[in-house]
Amino acid sequence: MVDSCKYEIKGLILDEDTREPLPYVLVNIEGTQISTLTDLKGEFKLINLCHEINTITISCLGYCDTSCKDFYHESSDKPEIFLKREVSALDAVTVVAEKQTDEGTYSLSRERIGKEDLSLDLTRSMAEALSSINGISLTSNGSNVQLPVIHGLYGNRILVLNNGMKHGFQNWGSDHAPEIDLSSVSNLMVLKGAAGVQYGPEALGGVVVAEPNELQLSSDFSSNVGTGFQTNGKGYFVSTDLGKGFKKWAYHLGANYTRIGDRHSPDYSLSNSGKQEYSINAGVRYNFEKLDLKFYYSYLNQDLGILRTSIASSAEVFVQSLTADEPVVIFPFSYDIKAPNQEVEHHLAKAELNWYYRDDAKVSLIVGSQLNKRNEYDVRRNIENPIIDLDLITNDVQLKWMHSQKGAWQGVIGIQAFTQNNDNNPFTYTTPFIPNYNTYRFSSFALESWRKNQGELEFGVRADYERSSVRGRETNQDPFLDKYSLGGLTFSLGYMYRFSAYSSLRTNVGSAWRPPNMAELFSFGQNGFKSSYGLLRHYVNDEGKLRSDKVIPIAESNVQSEKGVKWISEWEIKKKKNAFVATAYTQFIENFIFERPYGLTGTVRGPMPFYIYDQANALFVGLDLSWMKQWTASVSGVISASYLWSRNLKKQEVLINQPPLNVEYKLSWTLPLWGKMKSSVFSVRPSYTFRQYQAPVVYSPNDIVNNTIEITPDSEIFDFRDAPDGYFLMDVSWRLRYEKLAFSFAVNNVFNHSYRSYLNEMRYFADEPGINLLFNMNYIFNSK
Amino acid sequence: MTTLETLKKYSFYSLLGLGTLLVGCNPDEEVPEPVEELEVITDVVLTFTNADDDTDVVTAAAQDPDGEGVEDLVILDEVNLDANKTYILTYEILNALESPAENILDEIQEEAAEHQLFYAFTEGAFTDPTGDGNIDNAADPINYNDQDDNGLNLGLNTTWTTSETAVSGATFRVKLQHQPDVKTATSDSNTGDNDFDLSFTLNIN
Repeated sequence: MVDSCKYEIKGLILDEDTREPLPYVLVNIEGTQISTLTDLKGEFKLINLCHEINTITISCLGYCDTSCKDFYHESSDKPEIFLKREVSALDAVTVVAEKQTDEGTYSLSRERIGKEDLSLDLTRSMAEALSSINGISLTSNGSNVQLPVIHGLYGNRILVLNNGMKHGFQNWGSDHAPEIDLSSVSNLMVLKGAAGVQYGPEALGGVVVAEPNELQLSSDFSSNVGTGFQTNGKGYFVSTDLGKGFKKWAYHLGANYTRIGDRHSPDYSLSNSGKQEYSINAGVRYNFEKLDLKFYYSYLNQDLGILRTSIASSAEVFVQSLTADEPVVIFPFSYDIKAPNQEVEHHLAKAELNWYYRDDAKVSLIVGSQLNKRNEYDVRRNIENPIIDLDLITNDVQLKWMHSQKGAWQGVIGIQAFTQNNDNNPFTYTTPFIPNYNTYRFSSFALESWRKNQGELEFGVRADYERSSVRGRETNQDPFLDKYSLGGLTFSLGYMYRFSAYSSLRTNVGSAWRPPNMAELFSFGQNGFKSSYGLLRHYVNDEGKLRSDKVIPIAESNVQSEKGVKWISEWEIKKKKNAFVATAYTQFIENFIFERPYGLTGTVRGPMPFYIYDQANALFVGLDLSWMKQWTASVSGVISASYLWSRNLKKQEVLINQPPLNVEYKLSWTLPLWGKMKSSVFSVRPSYTFRQYQAPVVYSPNDIVNNTIEITPDSEIFDFRDAPDGYFLMDVSWRLRYEKLAFSFAVNNVFNHSYRSYLNEMRYFADEPGINLLFNMNYIFNSK
Repeated sequence: MTTLETLKKYSFYSLLGLGTLLVGCNPDEEVPEPVEELEVITDVVLTFTNADDDTDVVTAAAQDPDGEGVEDLVILDEVNLDANKTYILTYEILNALESPAENILDEIQEEAAEHQLFYAFTEGAFTDPTGDGNIDNAADPINYNDQDDNGLNLGLNTTWTTSETAVSGATFRVKLQHQPDVKTATSDSNTGDNDFDLSFTLNIN
């Protein structure tokens, strides 16, 4: 046995019709002597494989024929291979070997989007791609800045893992999205529960995992060139990636360029909503028998336009914007991006060392650095300098030990050091919105699972200690300093039970905590259309009036870390022609930090809207349902719905900006093939998003200015404008593969319907984009 | 050695070096540099001086004590003028958050070609100018005494003759517009961006 032969394949062989396990089936790795028989449960396991991709032959009397191609593979699970009865023959099935899994937390509901679906439209944001998953929506600040929302939580309650590391970016508000380019991602995965044990604090709501190219050894040269055009915003992209795996090393290279001009809603141009983005990514892998070393580097440069009409030149214009049917500022179409806009550069470099000291165990070390440079431009009087100019350096070191299976036990133990250093660059000519800070976090965790028969129990615990040093300026330019330490314990307990080969239950209770982030504590002043005041920047004085003239040291404040518990259960029935998934969850978050409108602050320019950060005890209860039915051999449909109920328990009131009820149906036809076509699928996707009926009361700016409404620190949560009406949307797409060319043609918002999305902050000012026709083409090239 | 092997070897060492360099970065503990706020106006004082007697001065002030903070703007005074007199209106414009307070008036005067003040008032409060001011219609009469280099009105110095009869509870509104590259003979009170927009109660005794 060669030491590098560390791969293994597990699988389950079932009768395609009855779904019963098939025992005594011979499974052989083609071209080798390695073979095994399935056991009474139909399961098999082949170990000590030298290649990551294997062709297996399955021989079984009374089963299989040449059309025996059906298997599918969930990487968190054993691939299930279905065999057809009647004809006895030999056939080959290609199965990608399962990585020795280090994902942990099987008991959490999870979903994936693969490369093929991602490449359908590379101009999308990561959040937009994720929002196709049931239970995931997106909150945005226009068409370019979009963040995923998992079960009502977003921003820094969703941990975004970029290449195995927490994505180090200015993660605050709904106007800063993770700078990850879809073209550099080969697989997107979402964990819908509190997965803080494995991934660290901030995973209160869930985790988004963006995985890069795998860098497979001994793989053919492959390259992929893609391009696409879309009518709305006259957007286009070109992207390419290529890679090859040798016996001892592998490489991968990718690049992408995207440009979109001003989008348009059905009735008017959304001025200054264009974006420009380019990115490169590269990876190299070296294999030294038991040691395996990987390096990754990625770079992304974005220039994102923010809707011009969102910046009001005066209070009068702001009030006008809120009540007008059309935006106050509309220019003709242009590719130019002017203020307000965000320019961001993100560098990520990572080294990963895996030591497979035994076949079923490994030690892995990840060392990574990220540099995030962000310049934000506002419509300013007198100067063109950015209003926000920040450099954020993130360093991350993780050491994990995945120990070998001991009886029914399997698990992973790890330690992590994580640091962030944020610096303001001079020449913004405004007091820094976010202070300079250094954060150091040290963590350790253990996650163990115990498997018996069809059940698997897992539990985990994690301890974090975090120290921060903050340096900022008050508006009179006096410096302020604060130093504080926060710590927390996180636990999770889960259980997974397989009732049968096609039915399972997952349930998980996870706690998580999250220290308030710098924006929540210290933000001060204007950013975009509003002014925001952090938890330590406002207080109520003796007269019961809100004031912001001093910075409160955290030790003297009543600001607390967020603490949450989420219980999520998923029941799944997956038959070939009928699949049903129900996910139910309840989450309680103590000291839930959120931003809400507080009123209008008088300035010499008139009253301007301002928001404060506040804390509440929040309860979230929700349900995601999806049902797939294969109607005929070529037609299948998936209906899915997701509903969330949430409350502030402290005051028995609704929360602001929570996702509304959404129902969609996706019907797909597999069309007949002609010529050299390999596949052809047409689908229609009608969806209906309801109005958010759990929206706070609305106080119009006019009523606040005229003192018809008086706002006090005890006033209930309110909003400046009604939640938008519900809307029906229809998307259609046709995807086909002709030899090495993959085409897709899609129409979004087919009926060119005017609507506003409750979770888009630009809903105050303008409609969402109208009809969009997208054409994409991919050329996939492989050679020895 | 083949090209690929060379590539493999050198890419390995250079990446290893880069990794060490990146992780080795030392954090600093610096306070952000103090900044010169360019856009903050905390105090606007209107000074009406009797054209015939420069010791007869009426002032009215508006103050936003915490600038960008949450505290409301306060109109500190009403404008109390005598009937049938001619006044020259001038300004004091400050950012009092800085110490000493920064004089914004100077900046506006330096950038006269990018600024214009517009006025609105209750009709009949003044005999000259007549009407209700030029915020609603830029061509309406206002007695501008100062012009920029292009000969266009600025409005930091204006002349007002009050009505012969008493007026109480009228309004007097001043609006400063910043109009870089867009100030023309026909630009109006909605052109460009607003620097301040203040409404005072006007009494003529």
